[in-house]
Parts: sequence; structure tokens; C-alpha cells
Amino acid sequence: MKPKLILGIIAIVGFTSLLMYNFGESISTYTTFDVAAEHGSAHVPGTWDNTKEYGFSKESRQFTFYMKDEAGNSRKVVYPKAKPNNFEQADRLVVIGEMKGNIFYADEMLMKCPSKYNDANPGEFTKASES
Amino acid sequence: MLGTLGKILISASFLAALLSSLLFFFAAYRDDSTYLKAGNWLFGLKASLLIIASGILVFLIFEHQFQYYYVFNYTSMDLDPKYLWSAFYGGQEGSFMLWIIFSSFFGFGLMKWTRNPYKGPVLFFLALTQVFLLSMVLGWDVGLFKLGASPFRTLAEAMPNAPILQSNPDFIPQDGQGLNDLLKSPWMMIHPPILFVGFSMMTIPFCFAMAALWKQKYNEWVGPALPWTLGANVAMLTAIFLGGYWAYVTLSFGGFWAWDPVENASLVPWLFGTAGIHTMIIQRKSSIAQKSSILFAILAYMAVVYETFLTRSGVLSDSSVHSFVDLGLYNQLLAFMLVISGVGLGMFFWRYKELPSPKKESKILSREFMTFAGAIFLLLLGLVIILGTSSPIIGTLFAERPTPPEISFYNDWSMPIVMIMALLTVIGQFLFWKKHDAESLASALINPLLVTSVLTITSVIFGDVRNLYYMVYLFTGFFAVVGNGWIVIRLAKQKPMLIGGALTHVGFGVLLIGILASSAYNSPLLDAETKNFNAAVERGEVKDEQGFTVSQKVNILQFNLNEPLILNDEYVVTYVGYSLEDQNRPGQQTYKLKFEPLDGGAPFYLNPEVYPMLSSSTADNIQWAVDPDVKTGWLSDIYLYVSGSSYVDQRNKQIERRKKQEMQNVAAPDTAASEEEDNIPEQQTIEFGIGQTVEVGGFKIRFVNYTQADSLSLPSNTTIGVRAEVELMHPASGQIHTLEPLFAVYTDEGKSYIYSPPVSIPKYGLSFQFTKINPQENNIELTILGLQEEYEEEWIVVTAEKKPFISVVWAGTFLLMIGFSVSIFRHWGRERKKNA
Repeated sequence: MKPKLILGIIAIVGFTSLLMYNFGESISTYTTFDVAAEHGSAHVPGTWDNTKEYGFSKESRQFTFYMKDEAGNSRKVVYPKAKPNNFEQADRLVVIGEMKGNIFYADEMLMKCPSKYNDANPGEFTKASES
Repeated sequence: MLGTLGKILISASFLAALLSSLLFFFAAYRDDSTYLKAGNWLFGLKASLLIIASGILVFLIFEHQFQYYYVFNYTSMDLDPKYLWSAFYGGQEGSFMLWIIFSSFFGFGLMKWTRNPYKGPVLFFLALTQVFLLSMVLGWDVGLFKLGASPFRTLAEAMPNAPILQSNPDFIPQDGQGLNDLLKSPWMMIHPPILFVGFSMMTIPFCFAMAALWKQKYNEWVGPALPWTLGANVAMLTAIFLGGYWAYVTLSFGGFWAWDPVENASLVPWLFGTAGIHTMIIQRKSSIAQKSSILFAILAYMAVVYETFLTRSGVLSDSSVHSFVDLGLYNQLLAFMLVISGVGLGMFFWRYKELPSPKKESKILSREFMTFAGAIFLLLLGLVIILGTSSPIIGTLFAERPTPPEISFYNDWSMPIVMIMALLTVIGQFLFWKKHDAESLASALINPLLVTSVLTITSVIFGDVRNLYYMVYLFTGFFAVVGNGWIVIRLAKQKPMLIGGALTHVGFGVLLIGILASSAYNSPLLDAETKNFNAAVERGEVKDEQGFTVSQKVNILQFNLNEPLILNDEYVVTYVGYSLEDQNRPGQQTYKLKFEPLDGGAPFYLNPEVYPMLSSSTADNIQWAVDPDVKTGWLSDIYLYVSGSSYVDQRNKQIERRKKQEMQNVAAPDTAASEEEDNIPEQQTIEFGIGQTVEVGGFKIRFVNYTQADSLSLPSNTTIGVRAEVELMHPASGQIHTLEPLFAVYTDEGKSYIYSPPVSIPKYGLSFQFTKINPQENNIELTILGLQEEYEEEWIVVTAEKKPFISVVWAGTFLLMIGFSVSIFRHWGRERKKNA
């Protein structure tokens, strides 16, 4: 084999493996609060726990609420932005951030809002900051 | 009736496309021009039938025929006529039709201009794509599965399970759901057509490449394919730009690019097409790189189809902010993608052995090598983006339920790639126009390098750049601008028609600088207090109630009405109120923020909006959308949106209260009556005399005077009948409403009754009753229903950002467009001469 070809193959293999490694690292999995507590950044899907208090604090400029994850555990979530306008209507939430103690600090939040006609459109996720 | 006709027309169009592709196949196979002629006619018939069908759809939309699902789902009575047009391609089905129509027009062009032996096979492959696209809008029920989704479906066909349609199959709604409010933008009107022009044009190099493989003529095809590829490129770039600009001014993610799958999917075909342009240019010049030109032409179209699959099959619905809903086309789209990839790559590898290989390898310092390297890096960038975008599929290798990759994945990989590309553009352009060895190249580049260094150092100093990586990046960007600018100036003096390529590369450099400057130096506008707080967070000094260290900075501001804040020591900003819209979008609030520059510049206003999404809101479920406002400047933009307000807060609370009440009433209908008293909305009475003003619940109410009551409005046997002229002022919006509630006393069978009908103002949810006159105190009593018990001050929460050099991003994009367009003229002009 020609040395150039070998060099080329090494370059391709090197590039691909580095790319795939990095890709794998930058992907996380949708998980629960309990699992998130053991990791750094996590995506936790769930629903708003409307039995507990929630609201935007004008003093700390944070929005706090309780969310029930898919395992059914309810945890306090702190979101450092205004309460999304459609928060009450969202039927699914995904909070992205990290767990500290018993509180989840979300940097980003996605919301899935139901549409007017359930038959027509299953609804889609929007970034909480976009609504 | 018309719907059935439409379905028949589409079916006939599909059959015509199928037949024409067969005829083109035989024309290509047997080199027979009679087949070709018949194929042309059928292709024309296909186009005409589909255009008539589209005309019917447009007619149904304009006639508001809501029994058709498409019309119902994307339009409404109150929709502006210009958006009725865009509703035609607002849904999947219509957008497929638009795509086919554009492809048909380009097909006519190909019939006229394509030379043999490519003509037959080119038209065959084009017709084949038409067959696939038309199958998406067929709506045939083929026993086991449905073939396509017809735009002429009736409601009953589209939603067989809807209760109202089960009880009454002939139900026709009074009004449609309306176009998504976010799409009601002039930018979104022209974005899809331009994108589909791009998609249609990108089909053509694919057809030529396949024709070349079929006819084993590997060189001549690039001549005619190149202008089409360039055209596709300009169209797609324009569409991407429009999409980015729309996202910037209507969505609130605060930028022109968010690495959203839909955005990525539009970028990849463009990158592959651009790679193809590079190899086609060296193939034309030096008769090498036949393999890669063919491969890129195939890949670019594959990427178009892959994008179509990703955005329309519903696989991205969890990860993308804006993708289409699955119409049940998943399998068909998958088949389309597999056939295009299979046929494309299959033909390529089948002919691979006999594809010409370069006799000798190119030197590294040659225009061939450099241009080729540019194409390879474009390919790499495209592959990285495809990988990231395909996370719902490929990500399953790494995680059970994969999330999209972090944004940093895209940034970390694309930055070094574009930096290398920036360097290559200059070296490539210098070598393109003159042969150089290492030494002569170095000496030719000394002056551009000097200028680049001066520019980089200047901007590092003035821009306070501390990050070494950014410095290198800036250097490469400036190098691309200066080096290619050098070539542009030199060429413009001699052969101005040839500047296209170099100008494009200048645009690329400008774009790189703009991207860095606008994103890395994007900063929130904050007041001193918030800044101090953030500084304390950075030092780790802030603890929350639980005793944890707060790590999240605050980037939002709260304004109370008429309480100015000083932002960034640059502006005094005051929230001066808002106005409510009753007409076009009832419930829309337009906020007014006054910016007074501290350096004495002229004050200006920003008017962000918050509105209920009409297409997806009901009385019990208002979905609010924000519309930012952008103050555009040469050096920096101010970007601002209202993310929360007392108005929206109260409206939501009202809805929650009403829902709770309804729930209680439903849950316990017997007790509902007894509880009703508790549930009576807050009632307040005020007493005031003529000329007096009372402040209550955030409103100012003034009793102006008594006015005469018209006898027609009074009951019979009235003894007293008088109206009170009352002014209701809403301080935040400055709006004044004049009301004239009636107070009357009438007798019936010897007894006196009071008649005081309520006057309601739905906008504020208030109603007024003139309930008493107190002659002794010389005042009157008003009873007001619906006032907030706990009245809050008017406040808004605002996200404001300063975005420097966004204009540079746009400038870079425009230069790219201009450069590509110049190249189209040059290459098209040459092809025309050949045809003549």
C-alpha cells in the first residue's frame, strides 16, 4: 500500500473516532431526578405538579415550581427566568440543568403544549423562553 | 365536489408523471426522440394538471371552504388575503405541490437547453423525482396502507374520530383554525417558495450526474450543471437567510441561528452543493475530479431528500422547535430517501471503476488541490452537522433515549473547520489565478498578511478580545476578507465578470467575523443592581434559601410602570405603558419602552408585543406568544422582548379561577347553587359626586355628569330615568372609555322597582352598574364587578440584549449571494453561447 493511502486512512479513522466520541459525550439521555442527582447536566422530562406552590419571585427573579418526573418523584425546580407565559397549559415539560441537593436548577426548559384540537396536532415542544 | 375534482387531477398528474418517466426512460435507453417528444408532452400535462389542482386548492382557501381539512387547518375567516396565499404552501401537502410546480418549470427549461446525450436521462431522473413527490399528495387508499395525504381531504376523512364529526358527518365549522401566528410574517411568505426553488434546482445537478453515469460521458455534464447548482445555492442561501432573519425578529431565542435540526437540515444541502460547485469548477478547468463532482451532486440532492424526511416524517417532533407533524408519510418518505440514495450511490459505485482517475497527482500548491481541499472541508462540516442533527437516530448508539447534542458540539467542531477553510480560500484563490511555488506564494501573500495582522491586532485591542482562540479565529476571518479582497480588486480591473468566486470568499470571511462578533460579544442589558448581583454570583457569594450557592446569573429585568432603570450606563429606560389591541389580534399587548441614551442621543422607543396565539388558543387555554422588537443599528442592535407581565399574569389567573369554578360546578352540581354566592366575582361599590375621581383596582374612574336617558331605553311607567357619564381610565395603556350606565325606577302594580342594566367592558372583564343615587350627599353609587381583589402594580419582565455586529453577518451573507450570482451570470452566459 502506498504511504499516502495509509496516512489518509489513519486521518479518516482518527477524525471519525474523535467525532463520534465527542458526539457521544455531548449527548445525554432523558432521565429522572434520582439519576440526575448522580450526574452533572441532565434532561429530565415530566409534568408540572400543580398541587404544590409555584410562582415567580420578583426578589430573586426566579421562577420556582414542582415537577413530577417519569418515576413519579416530585422535586422543586428553579428556573432563572420569568414564568413562561404558557406554563399552566403545558402538558409535558423537559427541564435541562443539574440537581443540587433536592433542587433541580434548570438552565433551559422545553414545554409541550396541547393544541386546540387533539385530533389534529399532537403539539410540539417549544423552548420555554420562546413563549 | 371541487375536492373530488382536485383529487382526480392530482391522480391524473401522478399517472402522467409515471408515464412520462417511462417514456423518458425509453428515450434515454434507445436514444429515440419520438419517445422524448411524447415524454415532454406528458411532463407538460403533469404540470398543467397539478397547476389546475393547485388553483382549486387556492380557490377553496379563498372561498373559506372549511369542510376541507387543509383549509380548516391553515386558514380562518379573518386571515389577511396575502396570508391566504401563503396558506397554500403553509402545510405539508401544499408545499409538496409548490415544489413540484417549480420542478416542472425547471423541467421545461431542461427540455429546451439540455444537449444530447444527456437530455433523455436527465429528464428521466427529474420525472422520477416528480413521481415520488406527487405520490406524497395522492391520498390513495391501497388496502393495506395509504399512499400520500391529499390536500383535498374533507374533515370527516382527516379526523374520523372527532366526536362532532361522528355525530354529524356533514358538520362544517364556521371558522378555521387559522395560520400559525408565528408564520404571519412577510419573511415567512417568501421563505418557503424560495426554499423550494432551491430544492428544485438542486435536483438538476443530481439528474445530470446520473445522466453522466448512465451515458458514461463524465466530463461535459458539468458545463450545464454548474449554473443550476449555483442557482440552487443562491436560492437556498437566500431561504436560509430569510429563515434566520425571521427567527431573529419574531422568535425569542435571541439570534439568527440556534443549530435547530430544521435549520441544520437546510444548511447541509447547501454545504454539499457548494462542495460540488468547487469540484465542478476544477473539473471544467482541468478535467479532473469527475468522481467527486458526481458524488457531490448526488450527495447534495440526497441531503435535500434527507432534510425532507427529517422535517416531515415527525422523527424530530421531540427535538425540534419547528418541524412538521407526521401525516403518515413516514414510510413513503423513507422509501423516497432510500431509492434516491440507492440509485444514486448504486450507479456511482457501479461505474466507479471506469470513472476517470487523475493521471498524476496534483501538487499540494495547486489550484486543483486547494479547491478540492475546500470541497472536502465543506463535506466534513456537512457530515458533522448531519451527525448532530441525526441524534434521535444515531444517538441511540450512546444512550437509550438520546437528547440532541449540546450546542457546543456544533460550535467546537465547526469553528476549527471554518478556520481552516478561511485559510484555504486565500491560498486557493491566489493559486487559482496564477501558478505559484511556495516561495512566490509566500511573497505574494506578504502584503495581505500584513494588512490582516494590523486589522486583527486593532480589533483585538478595540474589541477587548482576551481569548486566544478567538484571536486566531479573527485572524483567519480577516485573512479571508483581505486575501480574497486583494484578488477581487485585481480582477475587477481586468476581467470584472470573473470576480464571483473571490467575492464569495470575501463574503465568507465577513460572515465568519460577523458570527464571532455577534455571538461572543452578545451581552444582556442590565442595571447596576443586577450586575452587582451577577458579580456576587460569579464570586460564589450568593446563597439561596436552602443554603446552596447560587450559580445562575440573572439576565432579566423587571420594570415597574414609570420607574426608570439605567442599563449598562448607556440608557435610561422607562416602561411607559402598553396598549391593548381589539381589532386584528384581540388581546395583543404592545408594550412601550422608552430608551434615552445617556450620551445625549435622541431618545427612541421599543415596542415588543405579547399576544394570544389565535390558531391554538381557546378561552380556557390561551397560548401566549412573544414578539421581540429590534432596534437595528450599523454597529449593534438592541433586542428586547417581554417575557412576563402583570397583564398576562392576571389573565392567566382569571382563567385558572374560572376553570376551578367550572370544575367545582361539574363535580358537585347540587352544591353549586349554594356555593354560587361564594363564587360571585369580586364586587365593589364606589360612591362619588360629579367631577370626582376614584382610584380602584388599577383604574381611575371619574364621574363626569348626569346625562339624559333616552325614553326608548326605559321600561314603561318609569318615574326616574337617568344615565351617569363615567370615564374609565386605564393608566398603563392610557386608554379612556366613556360609559353611560342607566339608573331607572319604574312602577309595576303599585310597587317600585329599580332597573340598572350592567354595562360591560369585556377587554378588562369588568361590568358596571349604576345602582343608587344619594340625593342627600349629592353623589351616586356604582357597583363594579370583576375588579382584582389584590391589585398589583403594573410590571413587566424584560429580556434585553445588546447584539453587536449582526449587520456584519447580514453583510457577509449578502456578499456570498452577490458573489454566487455573478458566477451564475458568467457560467450561464458561456452555456448560452454553446447552445446558440
